Amino acid sequence: MPMKLLPPLSRRGFLQTSAGAVAFGGATLSLPGIARAQSKVLRIASGEADSAAATMDPAKNLADPDSARIALAFERLVVLDPNFTPTPQLCESWETNETGDVWTFRLLRGVKFHDGSEMTAADVVFSYRRLVDPDVGSPAAASLAMLPMDGIEAVDDHTVRFRLTSPVVEFPQLIATRFTYIVKAGQSDDDLRTRGIGTGPYRVERFVPGEEPAVFVRHDGYRRPGLPKVDRVELRSIPDSAARIAALRAGQIDINWDLPRVGIEVLEDDPNVRVIRTRSPFVMTMSMWTDTPPFDDVRVRMAMKLVVDREAMLQLVLGGRGQLGNDNPVAPWVRYAIDAPIRERNIDEARRLLAAAGHGNGLDVELYTSDTVFGFVEMATVYQSMAAEAGINVKINRAPADDYWSNVWLKVPFMCSSWSGRPADDALSVAYLSEADWNETRWKNPEFDAAIFEARRTVDEAARTALYHKAQHLLRDEGGAIISMHPDAMAAVRSNISGWSLHPQQFSKDFSEVEIA
Amino acid sequence: MRSAPLLRLLATRVVLAALSLLVVSVVIFWCVEMLPGDTAQRMLGRDATPEALARLRAELGLDRPAAERYGLWLAATLWGDLGQSMVADRPVADWVAGRAANTLTLAGFALAIYIPLALALGLLSAAFRGRPLDQAISVAVLLGMCVPEFVTGLLLVSVFAITLDLFPPLALIDQAQDLGDLLHILFLPALTLAIAMTAYAVRMMRDNLIEVLESPYVRLATLKGLPRRQVLLRHALPNALGPAVNVTALNIAWLIGGIVVVETVFNFPGIGRLLIDAISVKDVPVVQAVALLLTALYILTNLLADIVVIVLNPRLRAGA
Repeated sequence: MPMKLLPPLSRRGFLQTSAGAVAFGGATLSLPGIARAQSKVLRIASGEADSAAATMDPAKNLADPDSARIALAFERLVVLDPNFTPTPQLCESWETNETGDVWTFRLLRGVKFHDGSEMTAADVVFSYRRLVDPDVGSPAAASLAMLPMDGIEAVDDHTVRFRLTSPVVEFPQLIATRFTYIVKAGQSDDDLRTRGIGTGPYRVERFVPGEEPAVFVRHDGYRRPGLPKVDRVELRSIPDSAARIAALRAGQIDINWDLPRVGIEVLEDDPNVRVIRTRSPFVMTMSMWTDTPPFDDVRVRMAMKLVVDREAMLQLVLGGRGQLGNDNPVAPWVRYAIDAPIRERNIDEARRLLAAAGHGNGLDVELYTSDTVFGFVEMATVYQSMAAEAGINVKINRAPADDYWSNVWLKVPFMCSSWSGRPADDALSVAYLSEADWNETRWKNPEFDAAIFEARRTVDEAARTALYHKAQHLLRDEGGAIISMHPDAMAAVRSNISGWSLHPQQFSKDFSEVEIA
Repeated sequence: MRSAPLLRLLATRVVLAALSLLVVSVVIFWCVEMLPGDTAQRMLGRDATPEALARLRAELGLDRPAAERYGLWLAATLWGDLGQSMVADRPVADWVAGRAANTLTLAGFALAIYIPLALALGLLSAAFRGRPLDQAISVAVLLGMCVPEFVTGLLLVSVFAITLDLFPPLALIDQAQDLGDLLHILFLPALTLAIAMTAYAVRMMRDNLIEVLESPYVRLATLKGLPRRQVLLRHALPNALGPAVNVTALNIAWLIGGIVVVETVFNFPGIGRLLIDAISVKDVPVVQAVALLLTALYILTNLLADIVVIVLNPRLRAGA
């Protein structure tokens, strides 16, 4: 294992390089970059800081700027459409056996990598083996636990077969994640971090972690004729939202997909900018530990849900830029979602339930919140005043944003949390299965687990839907998550930009059809 | 030996500077160590699995005790090797040097605005002391000093970038194609820094000039019938400059802190933003390198100011 604290750099080397950098640093600033007049340059900006940990390796795709780079350079076998229905991208079709534990994918022919070579089954096998290889350490491995390395095989040059250790009826959906991009076989981890070769519409020209911008140029051999229509893409990150809005208005950036949901009226009024809003199953929740008093009593949990006036919450926290939540992590329009009426506020019923649970004289709870996600603090404050009417005294504990996810989340019995938009099975299992690593409500319900596992094995769609419905009803009526809203995804583009849309999953970006007028 | 006191001062200062740097490196290391979460956790984020964390920790050497890690870092640094960024996996020296060059460009521009601005305003307010112009300048510069840089910066952006559309809101220097572009792009952040620095210098200049203007030799010059301009510029100004040098040294030290804020507001890829980014992922070698560079700069500026004052002042120069 290389030791990174003491790298092999001589003193002379250090002196030379640093002197050189000092001497030429100023000069390089004024070098003409590219003749912008002739070529079409698209400047895109992420709202999340692009730290020195930046990468373009799909297996390590964690931060938002990473996902932008990866979406520029790579493609997947399967993608999800805005309603989370699996759609082929680098494959023609797929088929499965009776039980759903062997999946065969037929690849598109004539797909060219950035280096001109043709994509074959070997590249797909390489890409997927990397994801489950313990030596690579990809976070994707957790959700692909039923996929052993030797279960990924090339049948012929354009056919790949996956043999699973247990059936997954929704396998195509399972492999449409932020990690499952196809890379050219044989690249090392170092190659993939900064100079990965893929089949995507743009190839990387210059990307140094910690330096901006990352530069991508048109992939001339892109599989879709006539695309891309942009010659060059520059990616940078602008963490300050006011600066981001100013840069859009001044035309310093063309696309930003990460806008705050309030305070963007100036953008909406600006004729040079178009604001784009997409409903997203992004979940904002206040999560209670279902095994810890007072939340271990299902009547208390129900009372805590009944005090919320969801319409008012949505207006006050998100300025109405979102959809109503129903204490269900599967948003109402997502495939398999239940069609239950949005839970109405009922203070009398909440009081009755609290009294029955022995809290007739009021209930004291402590809610942790933080600035880490936009709206958390507002959500907690609004909840506090709504709950007070039912005799629930909410004490707000505002924790530092820096380490909220490492030191508060999963460590306190009642706190604000959020989950990015996911398909139904993923949304239900990531935080609510008994054994889930991120079981933030400590919800351990064998009936719920059984319904999910059974649904994954059930080939018949109606029966499968019924099982997913059962799980959602259990969670909605007995679980520990108060889910009152799903914030919309917000983006803005300069008005001369067309051919770009905002996917409800933030990482799922597509710049292949962008056109600059 | 006329230069003896100067040499002695230099020698003591160099020893003290080395000691200060050592202390600073310990304090910085300890502070970064105190921050919650380690580098591995910050890199992998909230979705990190225990296995992935353990693997990365071993790879980064984080499984060793803090004292050992500090010792290794110190030993390498004493050999002139600032090491490799833990997170970006690239040599720290190159990286910091490149960013420092950007920051120096910005700081140089800010000083180029600040010095004439401070001189002119100082002269004007002394020449018109007690009159409306003097009062207006006083109020303006004091406001500039009291308002934090990030507010000044945002204010300038909203007026000059958004409303008037004269300058770009972000200082994206990679978009500059020639020197004119560069100055155009850097103008707002440089002005923000200059505004915050000017107040103190103007106040000092004004008070000194007023004192000098009331001294007998200036009165004599005036009585001799010299033109007012000549009295001000030839006779009064040079004598009022001494203390202003010290103020400028203090201001440069202040600039080092202010630049972190201003670089963040304007998304400028300088050393201040590098420091913030490095702290947010606890990239210790980078944090150390930047902190030591800034400390050294601070010490050096103060030393230079002392030397200049000694050289300018015959009493201190001859002394012992």
